[in-house]
Amino acid sequence: MIGAARNVFAGVPALLLTLLAFLGSHFNSAGTASAHEASMAVMTLREMAPGRYFTQWTMPPTEQSYHPIFPEHCVWNAPDLNCGEKGLVGQLSFTGLGSKQSAAMIRVIAKEGPVHAYTVSAANPVVTLARDPGHDLNAWLDLASTYINLGIDHILRGIDHLLFVLGLIWLVRGPWMLVRTITAFTIAHSLSLAAATFGWVGVPEQPLNAAIALSIVFLGVEIVKLQRGQIGLTARYPWFVAFMFGLLHGLGFATALTTIGIPSAVLPMALLFFNVGVEIGQLLFVLLVLALMWAHRTTQSMLPQWAAALPAYAIGSVASFWFLSRI
Amino acid sequence: MKKGTLIRAIAAALALVAAPASADAHLINTTLGDFYGGVLHPLSGPEDVVPWFALAVLASIQDSRNARWLLFVFPISLVGGALLSVVAPALSISPAWNLAVIVVTGLAVAAAAKLPFPVFVGLGTLIALLHGYHNGQAMTQDTDRLLFICGVAAVGYVFVTLITALAISFLQGGMEWRLIALRASGSWVAAVGVIMIGLQLRTSAM
Repeated sequence: MIGAARNVFAGVPALLLTLLAFLGSHFNSAGTASAHEASMAVMTLREMAPGRYFTQWTMPPTEQSYHPIFPEHCVWNAPDLNCGEKGLVGQLSFTGLGSKQSAAMIRVIAKEGPVHAYTVSAANPVVTLARDPGHDLNAWLDLASTYINLGIDHILRGIDHLLFVLGLIWLVRGPWMLVRTITAFTIAHSLSLAAATFGWVGVPEQPLNAAIALSIVFLGVEIVKLQRGQIGLTARYPWFVAFMFGLLHGLGFATALTTIGIPSAVLPMALLFFNVGVEIGQLLFVLLVLALMWAHRTTQSMLPQWAAALPAYAIGSVASFWFLSRI
Repeated sequence: MKKGTLIRAIAAALALVAAPASADAHLINTTLGDFYGGVLHPLSGPEDVVPWFALAVLASIQDSRNARWLLFVFPISLVGGALLSVVAPALSISPAWNLAVIVVTGLAVAAAAKLPFPVFVGLGTLIALLHGYHNGQAMTQDTDRLLFICGVAAVGYVFVTLITALAISFLQGGMEWRLIALRASGSWVAAVGVIMIGLQLRTSAM
């Protein structure tokens, strides 16, 4: 089925490609200035006395309207939060999530015991505060739900990553090669995501951003080569190229986790759940593209021959624009 | 690549990676939220999904040229309708238009009508313009209009493309009951349209 992907694809998700490319250029122009904004708002709660906390935004929200909604028995007169004898347990949510910032985190620093972090996102708008997430099943379920959603959210917002995956699907011939290529990409970005999140490796932001953009330019060139009948490195060894560039993209993924200051106690599980979310999002995208390819074959709607190279040039142009703006 | 060059390249890459620094990339800070807002908005109620479904099923009954053009024209017209809502937000388009279109499209499916090319593409364009306008009106001052409109167009394209292909694939089985089943779905769509018109009239009378 996918054996003919190259031919079909030449005429198929042109709209998708053009849309991604168009959105990509828009994001870049809109996002450059805010490239260093926190992806989450973070509020720290420091326990001053049993049940009484001092609240402070350690990463302020971009919108003034954002504020936490604490459990009903808690009284919040900023910066003081009084939860009485019952303590800080119950449900926590945030107002205003989803428009400019998709997630917010509450870090609770108890007088005694470990620091706990709770993340609320638009997709997971309520979390349950518990005294000890380490032994509370619901707290762990909250953690899983939060970070899986964050992973899905992150990948679906990562237009450069999606464009790279789209390029890979285009280049690959045969279903098994596609499975191998996507698997190689997944393994690679999981490895580098873990390494970067744990602080074992790191790459300065600018060269990393530029290299990610360059990886997409590279694919654009490979697609054009393939259309001209030249078999490039990616067409010959797509899994190898996917693995190598996957390492780069994984470092990029780490942003979402390294900027929110997750306590080290939950970091391994948060990383695992986040990665699961990323894979779910990536799989959904791949399935959507394959479904659209099938649909265009079925409806016999292909791009005309003269326009077959257009999407590849669109990918290359947008990625080149990113590259130049990131160096 | 020569072996020496390769080794130097790997060494340089390792040197770069070995010095931990903040790994900070990926366009997470963009406001793609409004793109997904645009994607989800038409799916949040039956008034968009039902006629899109009927139109896609109708496309599967037409010849392949009609279906091909619909996939091209539909998302572009959605964009056109949404842009119109930005340029002329106060146009008074009666809800009866939307409802009438649902009934007409449903009846066309029920009758398995093979429409002339201009009529079919015109119907698709009309539906998309109406729905693009309607969805565009949901944008607020804070909405990133470009992203929202792209989201609406994307979901329209994906929905109509997939449903058309599924319906064509369903009909390729060749058995007559399959066409009857599709025609029955058209009559349901028409019925939904009639019910919605009734509700609309009742609301207006109250």
